Amino acid sequence: MAASAEDRRRRRTRTAAAIGALVALVAVLATVPLLTSDYQLSFMVNVMSYLVLTIAWALFSGTTRLVSLATSAFFGIGMYTVAMSIKILPLYASFALAIVVGAAVALVVGVLTLRLSGMFFVIFSFGLSEMIRELMVWWEINQTHTMGRYVYVPFDTTMIYEHLLGLAVVVFLVGWLLRRSRLGIALLVIGEDETVARQVGINVPFTKVAIFIVSAMFMTLTGALMAPRFSFINPNFAFNPLVSFVVVIMALLGGLQKLWAPVLGVIPLIILSERLQTQFPFWYSVLLGLVFMVIVYFLPRGVTGLLEDIWKALGRPLALPRGFTGPLLDAWAWLSRPIFLPRGLAGIIEERWLKIMPRANEKR
Amino acid sequence: MAALLEVENLRKAFGGLVAVNDLSLAVAAGEVLGLIGPNGSGKTTLLNLIAGTIRPDAGKIRMAGEDVTRLANHLRVRRRINRTFQLVRAPPNMPAIGTVMAAVLYGAGERVRFKDAGYEAAGWLGEMNVLTKADRRFDQLTYIEQKRVELARALATRPRVLLLDEWLSGLSPSELEGGMSVVWSLAAQGIAVILVEHVMTAVRALCHRVIVMNAGAKVAEGRPDAVLRDPEVIRAYLGDEDA
Ligand SMILES: Nc1ncnc2c1ncn2[C@@H]1O[C@H](COP(=O)(O)OP(=O)(O)OP(=O)(O)O)[C@@H](O)[C@H]1O
Ligand SMILES: [Mg+2]
Repeated sequence: MAASAEDRRRRRTRTAAAIGALVALVAVLATVPLLTSDYQLSFMVNVMSYLVLTIAWALFSGTTRLVSLATSAFFGIGMYTVAMSIKILPLYASFALAIVVGAAVALVVGVLTLRLSGMFFVIFSFGLSEMIRELMVWWEINQTHTMGRYVYVPFDTTMIYEHLLGLAVVVFLVGWLLRRSRLGIALLVIGEDETVARQVGINVPFTKVAIFIVSAMFMTLTGALMAPRFSFINPNFAFNPLVSFVVVIMALLGGLQKLWAPVLGVIPLIILSERLQTQFPFWYSVLLGLVFMVIVYFLPRGVTGLLEDIWKALGRPLALPRGFTGPLLDAWAWLSRPIFLPRGLAGIIEERWLKIMPRANEKR
Repeated sequence: MAALLEVENLRKAFGGLVAVNDLSLAVAAGEVLGLIGPNGSGKTTLLNLIAGTIRPDAGKIRMAGEDVTRLANHLRVRRRINRTFQLVRAPPNMPAIGTVMAAVLYGAGERVRFKDAGYEAAGWLGEMNVLTKADRRFDQLTYIEQKRVELARALATRPRVLLLDEWLSGLSPSELEGGMSVVWSLAAQGIAVILVEHVMTAVRALCHRVIVMNAGAKVAEGRPDAVLRDPEVIRAYLGDEDA
């Protein structure tokens, strides 16, 4: 008993130390705007916004293992809701409105995509983001006859940074609590085996939609907070699909096992993409794409191992050494499973076999 | 004995194949009902229908008087119906105790605090004699340990009706003996057990009553010794054996 009391005391001290260190870290980070140049501050704003997006992405995708490319949709909804409502609403009211719109869209999308799995969800979430973007472009050109919106509000980069820092603390706390909660365990079980999840009494669809909404609300608010940073916003800018891909790469690079792991993906990727953007502005997208491929294909053993683990964790054996055809074949197999052929080719063969089998039985 | 679970004229077809055909059964608290039949006769499908893994085309399922035919899987768990799977199912990357904790938190009915769920889950693993394996991933467990963890997961939801799909198959003689005493003690605690099994020693020793299925339909029902002597049952089984 003495040992366990000692253990408990030690654990409590460690928790207190960790909390103290975090509080100190946040305090230091909060003073960043006082100490840095404009350039450094805008770098930190980028880091904070992508950090929130990546952790929010991991809240949903890291647990349910449904890879979402809808990040840009919610980020854009946040940004564009603020851009559209800023003339008629106070700033904080338009932030709140953005969250409500984001949550509502997440609810509808979540309910619609419940039955999708694997690659279908990836494609649907990407398609959804592109559809919203096209819809907004069409709306602005044909209905409101504007090319975009001007956002002039007294909300400077320092304010944006401090708010994003606060949001990062909140999303971190939510992630931390989730790992120690009923809901968190449910999400883990769902991510691994939905049949087992149902069999232990978990309401699978409800849980998935709930975490999708939570994740989307963080993404939306990030977009909303970023809106005042740009004086002119058009739909193509707000709903930039690159955001979705960058977030996935950041999460994969950093890892999903530890809550703080995305930091390791966010910072190097932002540094890298800023380098590329300033030195090769015209080739930026292409080079970023190449960097992604390099990360996925050629990084040494250690990181490959990490990626393999992640792919395994995602439940899909993506065999990269087989080149392009391998993943394509796999992709086709995933694509064809849930919808076109409910039980796949194996199912068809099995059914044929069953049609023959009873006859074989009758003969005897 | 009043029936706890009643199944009436249940039917399920997969395309042209009728896997469960107009089947009725009832099982009372504390009773072990054996369900036997050749491979492909529809036993697992029947359990899937009762557990809510799949939906029937026709028929009724009543649990403690309540119609649960249309109820979702997770809601039937909360109505105290649970099961094990013929091919053991468990999250591959979670420690063994993980699903048991989830079962305590979601299936057990009353609200359990997160902090207590671990202890309670450990208790269930202990009851199944696999507590020392609580932190192992599933693929690090032996076959019998996997089966015991899966049963612990089912028991953690405090079932009143328990569906065991070949839970005693593939065990060594001494493991079989241990497994049989587990099933026996569950029934003694008042759980209604439906036991799908090919191991006839277990069926003879444990079951109060046996239902024999063939091609989705019930072909015999009664006390194990009588049923297993029935010529039609023997024919069904021999037909299976040289397939
Ligand atoms: N999801 C499904 N789709 C199509 N056919 C199915 C499906 N599930 C089961 N079947 C078929 O229904 C029939 C009954 O199968 P079931 O698994 O219930 O048999 P069983 O009695 O449990 O057999 P075993 O003793 O081998 O476990 C089989 O012919 C099987 O192939
Ligand atoms: Mg079976």
